Amino acid sequence: MATTARSGGNASGSTAQRPNGTQQNKNCQFKLVLLGESAVGKSSLVLRFVKGQFHEYQESTIGAAFLTQTICIEDTVVKFEIWDTAGQERYHSLAPMYYRGAQAAIVVYDIQNQDSFQRAKTWVKELHKQASPNIVIALAGNKADLSNIRVVEYEEAKQYAEENGLLFMETSAKTGMNVNDIFLAIAKKLPKNDGAHNQGAPAGRRLNDNENNRQTNNCCK
Amino acid sequence: MDLAASSTSRFSDVDEYGFKRSDNFDYRNYEQFMSGYLKTLTKRRMKWEAILQRNADLTTIDSKLKRYIRKGIPGPFRADVWMKISGAAKLQQRSPTLYRNLLGAHYEKEICDSITIDLPRTFPDNIHFDTKKERLFNILVAYAHHNREVGYCQGLNYIAGLLLIVTDDEEKSFWLLKHIVESIVPQYHTKNMANLLRDLAVFKEMIMRRAPQVNRHIENLGLPYTVIASKWFICIFAEVLPVETVLRIWDCVFAEGYKIVFRVALALFLTHKTAILGCDDIAALANLFREKMMQGDIVTDCHSFIEAMFKIRLKRSELEALRKVCVGRNNT
Ligand SMILES: Nc1nc2c(ncn2[C@@H]2O[C@H](COP(=O)(O)OP(=O)(O)O)[C@@H](O)[C@H]2O)c(=O)[nH]1
Ligand SMILES: [Mg+2]
Repeated sequence: MATTARSGGNASGSTAQRPNGTQQNKNCQFKLVLLGESAVGKSSLVLRFVKGQFHEYQESTIGAAFLTQTICIEDTVVKFEIWDTAGQERYHSLAPMYYRGAQAAIVVYDIQNQDSFQRAKTWVKELHKQASPNIVIALAGNKADLSNIRVVEYEEAKQYAEENGLLFMETSAKTGMNVNDIFLAIAKKLPKNDGAHNQGAPAGRRLNDNENNRQTNNCCK
Repeated sequence: MDLAASSTSRFSDVDEYGFKRSDNFDYRNYEQFMSGYLKTLTKRRMKWEAILQRNADLTTIDSKLKRYIRKGIPGPFRADVWMKISGAAKLQQRSPTLYRNLLGAHYEKEICDSITIDLPRTFPDNIHFDTKKERLFNILVAYAHHNREVGYCQGLNYIAGLLLIVTDDEEKSFWLLKHIVESIVPQYHTKNMANLLRDLAVFKEMIMRRAPQVNRHIENLGLPYTVIASKWFICIFAEVLPVETVLRIWDCVFAEGYKIVFRVALALFLTHKTAILGCDDIAALANLFREKMMQGDIVTDCHSFIEAMFKIRLKRSELEALRKVCVGRNNT
């Protein structure tokens, strides 16, 4: 399956595919966590971003899921380690394990659901208090394809995001609208100095050269 | 080849429980396995008829009955045997109106909402399930109001859903669900999930003892056990392993209890030792557990898997001792 190879793991020796030929690319790896109430579309956003698919009946996430995706910006290859969490309140006790050491977070709400927006704000507060101080947070108002029955106004969320220093976009995992863009915006905002891939990596995590040089078919071609 | 052609014609793309088989389902391998397994099933069924004639209420599970259960309860007897060996039938007899009373009571909106969200995403690929949604809602809502400490926990939809497929009976499903949540794995589904976190830590300790290099490799790659195994424990492998395998596992769970859950988890790790050690990054490892492990032999030959899990050495005393050590851990 092409998608398997793309989402990491089986990409075969690929230093030869280095884009732009001449220039040595930088490789960065970032840990990104998705947070938000149940059924707002976290898993669907990841599925769209990683595999380009959408499932009307996305199975509920029990515990957490892990996926990877790589994108390119300018001369940098950015590999996201994506931690998709369960939304139900009782799974909350597991969440710190996932956002600990994360360099980025996407906090998701559903534009048709006011409660999910309030829950998103609580997540943002928790991240500001508990996560790494430099974490880049994006707020995603998902299910934008249903904007005719929205209850959370775009302007309201935008203003909240600005006041709290968050990136903000309305997204649709269903149509794909702004899905790549929000990950791209995060990648742009993350520091890509040498060694960025080491910051906050989980203890014991090592990057060997082989892994570092992996390319995927999603970028730079 | 003929074999391939006949296997696709003999086995439809939907299994006997109404689940759609995956696109890469290995029909040829399955045909080979089934040609033997069907004969075994028939023999087993005749033996079970005899057992049930002799010992209709299955009150005592002696070593012979246990052996038979480990070999698989025949489909037509499964619901009935589960009810009896688990003790759920007795509980139901003692409170014959409980389920109906629960259904007649007032529901809390918050509980209903969280169940409703999960209904369409429970077994969407199962062809019978469209008509079962309302019954699944009843089971979950009744249980959530019956046990306030648990309420509704995501994952129970898969357990109750599979129970409903097997029993085709709301009330039996309710009692079996109650048995699993309260007697097999108590405090897994409650609001703090205390015993789930404890048992994940226990499981990790057991891997450290039995396959230290596997544990070290997983730690080095940085994939927490909670990501790998939370769903295994929460759902008792429903929606994790193929249906037939899960039902064989549940046969043993109802007869022998929580130890089986650890057996299965251990077997999944130990039979994939080489594959785990062969993963050279976290993405490959996550993919192994999420996708690759759920294809291949485990899918087509549940019988060998069950045999493998009973070959693993595991004592209740070891489990209980580890549980004492691991209480309160929450970072596995
Ligand atoms: N219309 C619409 N539905 C969506 C969108 N994203 C997710 N969904 C649906 O919302 C439900 C919950 O999605 P899921 O990704 O499981 O949410 P999670 O619990 O936050 O991971 C699923 O039925 C999805 O198909 C979207 O952008 N638009
Ligand atoms: Mg999810």
